[in-house]
Amino acid sequence: MANRRSTFLLIWVITAVGCLYVFLKYASPKIFQMLMAKDHPMPTPSTLMMWYMIMGVLAGLVYATTSNQKFVDFLSFLLPDRGPVIKSFLRKIIFVGFPALVGWFVYTWAIPGAASPVELRIQHPTLPQDFEKLENPFRQADADVQRRCIEEGKVLFQTYCRPCHGSKADGNGPFANSFRLRPINFQDPGTIATVVDNYLFWRIKDGGPGLPAESTPWDSAMPSWKDDLKDDEIWKIIMGEYDTAGVMPRQREKLE
Amino acid sequence: MNNLKIVRWFAKRSIFVVLLVVLSLGSFLSVVPEIFAADIPVVAAKANEGATSGVELPQFESGQSSADSQLPGGQSAAGEGTATAAIEEEEMAPVQYRTFFGLDPRTVVWIVSELHLMFAAFVLGVPIFAVIVEIVGFKGGDIKYDKMAKEFTKLLSAAFATTASFGGLLGFCLFGLYPEFMGHMTNVFSPTMYVYALMFFGEAFTLYGYYYSWEILKGTAAKKWFHIFLGIMLNLFGTGLMFLTNSWATYMMSPAGIVPETGRLVSLYHAVYNPLWMPVNIHRLIANVCFGGFVVGAYAAVKFLGAKSDEERAHYDWMGYVGNFIGVGALIPLPFAGYWLGREVYSASPVMGNIMMGGAFSWTFIIQAILIGMLFIGANYYLWLGMGRIKGSERYTRFFKYLIFIIFVSFAVWLTPHNLPLSGEERAMIGEQYHPFSKYFGVMAAKNAVVNLIILATFFSFLIYRRGNKGEMCSFSEQGKAGKIGIFSALIFCLLMLISYAISLNFVELEENIKVFVKPLILSLYIQSFVVCLAAFLTFKNKGKLGQALLFAVTACIAVLYFWYYGFQVMQKANLVLRYLSVTQVSIVMSCLIMNAIIDVFMFRKAKLVGGIVWGKMPARSQYALILLCVVIVILMGLMGFIRSGLRMDWHVYGVLQDTSQWAYTPTLSYMGRIVGLIVVLFLGLVAFVFWLANLGDKKENKKTNTYEYERVTADYEGDR
Repeated sequence: MANRRSTFLLIWVITAVGCLYVFLKYASPKIFQMLMAKDHPMPTPSTLMMWYMIMGVLAGLVYATTSNQKFVDFLSFLLPDRGPVIKSFLRKIIFVGFPALVGWFVYTWAIPGAASPVELRIQHPTLPQDFEKLENPFRQADADVQRRCIEEGKVLFQTYCRPCHGSKADGNGPFANSFRLRPINFQDPGTIATVVDNYLFWRIKDGGPGLPAESTPWDSAMPSWKDDLKDDEIWKIIMGEYDTAGVMPRQREKLE
Repeated sequence: MNNLKIVRWFAKRSIFVVLLVVLSLGSFLSVVPEIFAADIPVVAAKANEGATSGVELPQFESGQSSADSQLPGGQSAAGEGTATAAIEEEEMAPVQYRTFFGLDPRTVVWIVSELHLMFAAFVLGVPIFAVIVEIVGFKGGDIKYDKMAKEFTKLLSAAFATTASFGGLLGFCLFGLYPEFMGHMTNVFSPTMYVYALMFFGEAFTLYGYYYSWEILKGTAAKKWFHIFLGIMLNLFGTGLMFLTNSWATYMMSPAGIVPETGRLVSLYHAVYNPLWMPVNIHRLIANVCFGGFVVGAYAAVKFLGAKSDEERAHYDWMGYVGNFIGVGALIPLPFAGYWLGREVYSASPVMGNIMMGGAFSWTFIIQAILIGMLFIGANYYLWLGMGRIKGSERYTRFFKYLIFIIFVSFAVWLTPHNLPLSGEERAMIGEQYHPFSKYFGVMAAKNAVVNLIILATFFSFLIYRRGNKGEMCSFSEQGKAGKIGIFSALIFCLLMLISYAISLNFVELEENIKVFVKPLILSLYIQSFVVCLAAFLTFKNKGKLGQALLFAVTACIAVLYFWYYGFQVMQKANLVLRYLSVTQVSIVMSCLIMNAIIDVFMFRKAKLVGGIVWGKMPARSQYALILLCVVIVILMGLMGFIRSGLRMDWHVYGVLQDTSQWAYTPTLSYMGRIVGLIVVLFLGLVAFVFWLANLGDKKENKKTNTYEYERVTADYEGDR
C-alpha cells in the first residue's frame, strides 16, 4: 500500500454503481412507461433489482482489480494522505455513508411489514403424456376448411375467452383487472407462440383445476372447459386464438 | 522410524481430506431425513398413479404386481393368504426395486453416476489436449511442452483407476437396485456391453502404456511418433467408450429401435443411433475438454500457490494459463453444441422440451446461465490479469472497461428469466404478466444474441492478450507464401461454410408463407461472406487491423443486434425458422472468429517483441480465479447431469418403461441443490486426494535425488580435499 497516488477510482466505481441504482429504480420505470405507452410506470421487480445491482458491484470490483496498480489505487483512497481536500471530504463521506447504508439495509429488511411473498414461477406446466400425441384435426384440412374453422374459432373465442383475454387476445378483457395474476397476453411472442397446438388444447380443456401437482402454487384462474365445449370447438378456438393474436403455434420439428 | 514419520506426515496432510469427508457425510446425512420425510408424500401420490399412462413391457408383467403393491426391497404388500404362500409369492415375484441399505436408491445412483461421469470426463478430456501438447512440443522442439503433457498424463493415470472403481460401483448399484430396468437395458444393449468391456481393456492398456513408456520412447523421431500413436489410440478408445455409454443414456431419453408396446428389440443400430445420441456425443466431447482444461488449471493454481521457487512458480503459471486457454477454447463452441442438443430434445418430444426450457426445469437453466456467465467472466478476468506479466500489454488495458461493460450487460440479459419471481404488489404495479425486462431479455432470441456477444468479447480479450508483447508489424508481403496460403485457406474455409449453408437454405422444405422468413438469413450469410473477403483483401493490402475491426463490427451488427430483433419476429410468425436462424448466427460468429484469428496470427508473425512474458509474475487472486473456474465447471456438470437425466420425469425409458417406484418424483430445487452440492464436494475432495497420491511418488523421488545429489557433492568435496 506504499503507492498513495491521488486517484479517485473508488469514487468512480461507487458513482457507477449509484448511477445503475438510479437508472433501475427511477429512470427505467419512466422509460418503459413512455416506450410502451402505459398510463403508469413499470417499476423494476425487486428480484431483478437485486441481481442487476449485484452484477454492477461485481463489475466494479472486477474492473478495480484487473491490475495490481488499479487495485492499489482503489484501496489507497481509504488511506490518509496529503491529497486534495475533496479527497479527504469524500473519504469521510464513505466512512460515514457505508455503515449508514448497511444499517439502512438491515433496518428495511428487519422492520415488520406486510407484503405478499415473492413466488418462483415456471411458465409451462408439464403436459400430460395423454395430450402429447394429439393433433389438431383441422390443421391438415384444405385452405377453405381452415379459413372457416378460424372464423368459427374467432367467434367462439369472443364468446368464451374475450371476457378475460380480451377481444384482441392481448390479456385486456373486461374482467382482466379483477385477477391478481392478469390473463396472459397472447400477442407476446413468449407465450402461445412457444407451444404446440395440443398444449393449448390441454390448458383449455382442463384449465386451472387440471394443473399438475408439481411446481405449485400455479395461481391460475383458468376454468376447465371440458364440460362446456366439445373437442372440435376447442381446436377451432385455438385456431381463432392464434389468428386473433397474430402469432403462429410452435410447429413440430423433424429430427435431424 | 521412517515409517512413523510417513504416518505422521500423512496424518498431518490428510486432515483436510478427513475434514472434507466429514463435511460431505454431514451434508449427506442432513438430506437423508428429507428422503424419508419431506418428499415422500409426493412420492406416495406418484406411486398411486401407477402405470396409467405408461406401457408396461410384457416380459416384466408375469408375476409382477402393480406399482402400488411394490414396496422397497421388492416385497409384495398385497399378500393376503397364508404366511407361507406370501413368502413363496415373495420368493417367486421378480424384484423391481431395492433400497441401498435402507437409503433411497435413486439418490445413491444419482451420486455414484455423477461422480463416475465427472472422473470419466476428466479421463476422456485430458488425453485429447495432452497428446496435442505433446505433438506441439515434439514439432517445436520445446521440452517444456513435453514435460507438461507428461504431467497431465500423470494426473490421468491416477484418476483412471478411480473412474473405473466408480464405474464398477455404478454397475453393481444399477443391477442391484433397479433389476427390472437393467433387465430391459440388457435385453436391448447386451452386445454393446461386451464391446464396452473390450474397449475398456484397450483404454487401460493404451493409457498405462502411454504414461509408463514416456521416457522409454524418447530419443528418436520414430519412437516419439509411436508414443504419440499410443496417445491417439488412447483417445480413440476413450471416445468410443463414451459414445457407447452415451447411446445407453440417450436411449433412455429418446428410445428407438424397439417395439414400444412390447419392448422387443428391432434394430440395435437404431437403439444406439437414437435421435439424441449424436448431439449428446458432440456436446460431451467438447464439454470434457473444457472440464479437463479447467480442472488442470485449478491443479496448476494450487501448485502455484504452494510453489517454493520462481522456477516452479513459472512452470505452474504457464500450466494454469494453458489449462485456462483449453477450458475457454472448448467453452466457446459449447453453447452452440448445447443449443443443438436442446433443439433435438424439443424435436424428440415437445413435452420434454417444454419441461426443459419453460417448465419444471426452467429454473435450473437460470442457475446454468449464472454458472456459464461466471465461467466467461472468470476466464476473461484471468486473461486480463495475465496481461500484467506481459511487458508492453499496457497499451491494451484501456479496452478492459469496455469489455467489462459488454460482458456484464450481456450477462445481465443472459440470466434474466422470462418468468420473474414477483410479489403480488409488484404484479399489480406492473399491470401485466411480464415486465419489459423479462419480456425482451427472457426469451431465446435475446439469449442467443448476448451469448454470441460474450463469445466475441472473450475472443477480443484473447486477441489483445496475444498482442500484448508484440510491437511493430512487418509488411504482409514479408510473411511469404505461408501468410498468403494461411489467409487464403481460412478464407476458403469460411466461404465454404457460409455460402454452402446459404445455398442449402434455398432448398429447405417449408410452406411458402414461412419460407419468406428464411430470405433475410440467406442475405446475412452473403453479406458476411463479402465482409470476410474484404477483411482478407485488406490484410493483403497491409490493413489487416481495419479488416479485423470491420469483421467484428459487421458480425456484431448481424449476429447480435439484427438477429436479436429478427428472432422475435420469427418466434411470433415462423418458429420453424428459429433452427436455421441459430445455425446462421453460429456460422457468422464462427467465420468471424476463424478469419480474425488467422489474420492476427499472420499479421503479427514476425512483429517486433516489445517485451517478454514473465511467467510466474501473477497475483494470487488470478490463481483463485482459476480455482473458481474449476469449482464452477464441476457444479455446472453436476447440474446439467441432473437436468439431462431428470427430463425423463417418471420414466426409466421415456414413454416405454415407467418408473413405478416411490422415488419417481422430480426433486425440488433445494433438494437438487443439496445433492449436487454434495457431489461437487465429494468430487473435489476425491480429485484433490487422487492428485495428492499421484504426486507422492514424485516427492519421494525428488527427495531421493536431492539426498543423492547432496551425498555425491559431499563425496566430491571430500575427494577434492
